[in-house]
Amino acid sequence: MIKFIQQLINGTSIGFVYALIAIGYSLIYSILSFSNFAHSTFIIAGAYTGFFLLTAVSLPLPFSLLGAIVGGILIAVFAEKVAYRPIRERGNPTLYFIIASMGMSIFGENIVIATIGPKFRSYPPILSVTAYQIGGISISVLDIMAAVVGSIFLLMLMYVVNKTRQGMAIRAAAFDLETVGLMGVNTNQLISLVFLVAGALAGLAGFFLGMKYTVFPQLGNLTMKAYVAAVFGGLGSLPGAVIGSVFLGIIETIIAGYFSSTLRDIFVFALLILVLLVRPSGLMGAKREDKV
Amino acid sequence: MGYLLGIMTLICCNIIVVIGLSLLTGFTGIFSFGHAAYMAIGAYSAAILTTKLGVPFVLALIVAVMIAALAGRLIGIPTLKLVGDYFAIAMLGLGETVRLLLDNGGKLTGGARGFGNIPGKTAFPIAFVIMVFSVIVMRNIIGSRYGRCFLAIREDELAAECCGIDTYGLKKTSLTISAAFGGLGGALFAHYITYIQPIMFDMAKSTEIAAAVVFGGLGSLSGSIIASIILIGIPEVLRPLYQWRLVFYGLLLVGTIVLRPQGLMGGREFTIQGLKNAAQWVQEKIPGRGKGEKR
Amino acid sequence: MSILKIEGLTKVFGGLTAVSNLNISIPQGRIYGLIGPNGAGKTTVFNMITGIYQPTRGIVEAEGKSLAGLKPNQIAQAGVARTFQNLRLFKKLTALENIIIAGQYNTKYNLVTAVLQNRAFKEEEKRLRQEALQLLDLVGLSEYAEYKASNLPYGHQRRLEIARALALKPKILLLDEPAAGMNPEESLALMGFIRDIKDKFGLTILLIEHHMEIVMGICEHIVVLNFGVEIAHGSPEEIQNNSEVITAYLGEVEKDDAAS
Repeated sequence: MIKFIQQLINGTSIGFVYALIAIGYSLIYSILSFSNFAHSTFIIAGAYTGFFLLTAVSLPLPFSLLGAIVGGILIAVFAEKVAYRPIRERGNPTLYFIIASMGMSIFGENIVIATIGPKFRSYPPILSVTAYQIGGISISVLDIMAAVVGSIFLLMLMYVVNKTRQGMAIRAAAFDLETVGLMGVNTNQLISLVFLVAGALAGLAGFFLGMKYTVFPQLGNLTMKAYVAAVFGGLGSLPGAVIGSVFLGIIETIIAGYFSSTLRDIFVFALLILVLLVRPSGLMGAKREDKV
Repeated sequence: MGYLLGIMTLICCNIIVVIGLSLLTGFTGIFSFGHAAYMAIGAYSAAILTTKLGVPFVLALIVAVMIAALAGRLIGIPTLKLVGDYFAIAMLGLGETVRLLLDNGGKLTGGARGFGNIPGKTAFPIAFVIMVFSVIVMRNIIGSRYGRCFLAIREDELAAECCGIDTYGLKKTSLTISAAFGGLGGALFAHYITYIQPIMFDMAKSTEIAAAVVFGGLGSLSGSIIASIILIGIPEVLRPLYQWRLVFYGLLLVGTIVLRPQGLMGGREFTIQGLKNAAQWVQEKIPGRGKGEKR
Repeated sequence: MSILKIEGLTKVFGGLTAVSNLNISIPQGRIYGLIGPNGAGKTTVFNMITGIYQPTRGIVEAEGKSLAGLKPNQIAQAGVARTFQNLRLFKKLTALENIIIAGQYNTKYNLVTAVLQNRAFKEEEKRLRQEALQLLDLVGLSEYAEYKASNLPYGHQRRLEIARALALKPKILLLDEPAAGMNPEESLALMGFIRDIKDKFGLTILLIEHHMEIVMGICEHIVVLNFGVEIAHGSPEEIQNNSEVITAYLGEVEKDDAAS
């Protein structure tokens, strides 16, 4: 039982990190209707920025965390401006977005390998070693921080999306970007804002992943799991992305804990395929029919 | 000379794979980032047939093509119902899955260490003839009603459906043909290189194939061919920059799509007439040459 | 005997009823109009007829045969062709290719003969091309045959889309706002064009339109939808004098509530 609770806690903590990625991914999908494979680059940007600020610059933790967020934001907004905007303005099909984002993801991963190197690098052990023991269950400070900071950001985002003018514009744009533009909203600005938010969350996630595990060029590949979570929860649905992520984190940890970690990865993709086949719009996503 | 001939043989194998993906992505509008998987299926099937079962080379090629085509068909049945991005994710997963299966194939595939002693049957003339033959087959497919249906699906799937086209069925056809070409290229490759490893058909290979298609210009067969020659030829010459190869491919994908989405050939085909027009254009542009007058 | 019969057609999206219990029956050779304010469910009706949406309830019959469970491509081949509100041409292909694509559904060659390019293949290709050229000629676009669809003037694109639908040799033609974005002159020309093709091809036409001069000018019978519910049907004169239709269009709040 104690082992189970422990897995539950570990799973929830990693689930929160997935949620940070999945939310941004889902947001971009809901506005531009394509899977932003370049999300992995935003994560690496955050993870490496955080790493260098902590090690080379020796900044204190909170500033390094902020730096990681800024790193994610910069890459995300840059990617949007340089690559996606020209494609959008030409009115090119979704295929072009997919190709460009895939190209960026490959570029991002390999430029890190070519310049910084393919090695795994450990974050300095600031938080990860300290853990609270409660009746045989250990909760690391890092997990608590991931859950708390993650929740704060997610709640802030929910507030922005549901209560502010910008949020309303985002929700409307998810429904019909063109019409929102006709109503006088600056869609370029709105999309930049979405990428800013997605980049910030991805940068934060990268920082947590770096602390929890290590930093390495393929770290961004974890995005795949966030995709699965986002799809599982229903693409374009923010609460769906969070619920899907936490659910995935828990199931995954339990499978890895009781069976094996190979089985865990197989399970993740099996789940994706199952969801796609049974209910392509996800568990909580609205069923979309082609607008004619 | 032997070295150059080797590169040219390799280019021929790759052209076949690239025009296969060209049909799927350039002409049907379906993006795959796991196409090296079909190449691997063809390579390993043919290698097992010739090396372990003593099947003649030509027969092994044919069977390998059929196995790859069948794999494409079966994979297409569930995945082609998905929208574009999900399909791309599924193909990415497929690429990894096939590689994992080969890694763990035990004696049959030789595992991660590889599969050796494959007879070196793919001499350059053979590769060249099969490549030319493949290009002609592809050109004829594209010029037929099948090609037009693929283009219609790429342009507007719903409209295509309302024009009486069974889009799901034809997408499966496109993937099947595309996989068959991948399998053929892979089978030839295996019998040129004589030693294959799962890692040869990894994500990097898939990226290379996709980059050639995009760089050559979506919807241009000759563009795909020219791009294959450039992209496969250059890295062979620039071995020392090996680790920058994927950086370059990534940049090439984004750069082409953002700056020149029509690619090298801009959806046009390379023809003799086109060459003449271009020559004439050049002559007109150079003062004191040719007609020497501006239009 | 009606050639297109719609009975009790209903579509519910989530909790929202987009079309409710619609009945339309069109006799052979007539032009019917489907009108109503924006969001009344007109295009949804087209999408159900052409198989893009599955109706929640109700039946659609073309020439006495039920279209239930057929996919859009099968319905297109069964003789029901359509155009789209926002033009869905194959933009990067030529006008000629656009037509050939719709005309080739019953081509008699397979993949193997296509690769071999045998006699049958060449003859079929020649036939497809000739038929398409004839059709382009008929709609007055023959000089644009080799133009990319997206490079045609807007009005010609509308015409090309109709021609593409005709290439399917349909019995029933559904036109979704054919005059959208046209000036009065072009609209007038379009009216003549629609009448023309109706006679030449022996068509039965159902059209959605906001330009009232067109609807009143060519439709023999009009069905008015509001919030997915039929509020009136009849001849153009009857519709013009129907008080409920007038209020629906002027948008009286109380009436809207009553209608929904």
